[in-house]
Amino acid sequence: MSPVASSARAEDMALVERCRRGDLGAFEELYRAHAGRLFSVACRMLGNPADAEDLLQEIFLSAHRKLESFRGESALGTWLYRLATNHCLDYLRSRAARTNQVTDALDDEAGQFEPGGRTLAEQTVTKMDLERALAGLPEGCRAAFVLHDVQGLEHREVAEALGIAEGTSKSQVHKARLRLRTLLRG
Amino acid sequence: MTCTQYREWIDELVDGTIVPIRRAELERHLALCSACRGLAADLQTIRDTAASLDPLEPPAGAWLQIAGRLRQQGRVAPPTQADAKPATRHTALLAIAAALVLLVGGSIALIWTDFRGRNTAAPPMAAAPTSPAPAPASNAQTDVAVESVEAEFREAERHYQNAIAKLEQAARLDQAASGGPQAALDPQTAAMLQKNLQVLDQAIAESRSALRAEPQSAAAAGTLFEALRRKVALLQDTIALMNEMRKGNAAGAAQIVDGANKS
Repeated sequence: MSPVASSARAEDMALVERCRRGDLGAFEELYRAHAGRLFSVACRMLGNPADAEDLLQEIFLSAHRKLESFRGESALGTWLYRLATNHCLDYLRSRAARTNQVTDALDDEAGQFEPGGRTLAEQTVTKMDLERALAGLPEGCRAAFVLHDVQGLEHREVAEALGIAEGTSKSQVHKARLRLRTLLRG
Repeated sequence: MTCTQYREWIDELVDGTIVPIRRAELERHLALCSACRGLAADLQTIRDTAASLDPLEPPAGAWLQIAGRLRQQGRVAPPTQADAKPATRHTALLAIAAALVLLVGGSIALIWTDFRGRNTAAPPMAAAPTSPAPAPASNAQTDVAVESVEAEFREAERHYQNAIAKLEQAARLDQAASGGPQAALDPQTAAMLQKNLQVLDQAIAESRSALRAEPQSAAAAGTLFEALRRKVALLQDTIALMNEMRKGNAAGAAQIVDGANKS
């Protein structure tokens, strides 16, 4: 571990220790440092800010309970991402079960090499187009895509956050990009 | 190598993690293969657009709700002697009012979630009051849902009114105890908050009448929930404002007033 990472880890542990002692100010500090990123992930994974707001509360309440078991083996941010994505995935599964939705099967090869047509680089892809297309992704690869391409995590961190192998993270992000390509070329 | 085998390298190229020797070979392939070249260009566009998406800010009241629930659950330490202010009575009342408002806010959120669960045709909370009401899946089921929601509403509202009374009492005591503008709401801000509360009360009354006239209207129920939700949010802003003023944080207070003005 680099000296910078080591110092950041020590700061994480000091903050966590204050939170464990019931220091609300310390937990607010933790909230202010991470809430924006976690809310962005929840919004993009759930596709609905109102649901994301409710879930954000559950994520932080759950984090407060589970800080007891945080040992600093991963960065606090990565640990929180894992907690948040687990909450989001549970929520999506439960929502799918309530509404009898069937999770999309992902055709790995769809739209990969077909020739002809304009490339995305030749048409204008707005942020809004991409936000809309994100909602059309299957949950697993949406989570990996949001963490990697939107939030900028490395595959190693995505794998840690989602509890999957690094190779699976690469494959999920690739699948997501292919599906988005198909959706955006519409 | 086939195009399929170059696929992983294209991802590495897009991510900027490809090693030079692979990069040179891939670039030679891309120069000859228009399909792979198109794929690489498209994935790069997707990657760049994704990286440029703006971060989303959680609502201002989210932290207050989390803090309130942690206090309710007894998971945070009470303020130490050093943190305590001389005027402890009104501070305690303010905390009680905050807890009550948060509790009621949570109840309303739960009721809404429950309502949405039972009647998936209901519009989202942000739906305009004039949104047409979608046809319910089953009238009998919806009747039960509306009755149940109304009963829960009445209970929530009882607590809600109690919270408002405590909050008003806390504000009055705060002003009397501090004897200065720093810890209390200034008249202009108080008038603005009061005006917003009156507008919301009017909206609540009107949407309740509409729901009474059409008990099965998901649009009317949605409007009522939205008005109640906004009132809870306004009360949360009021509590946050009083806390900022107590701390002497003029910038934080101004930000909250600005937000309340826009809502």
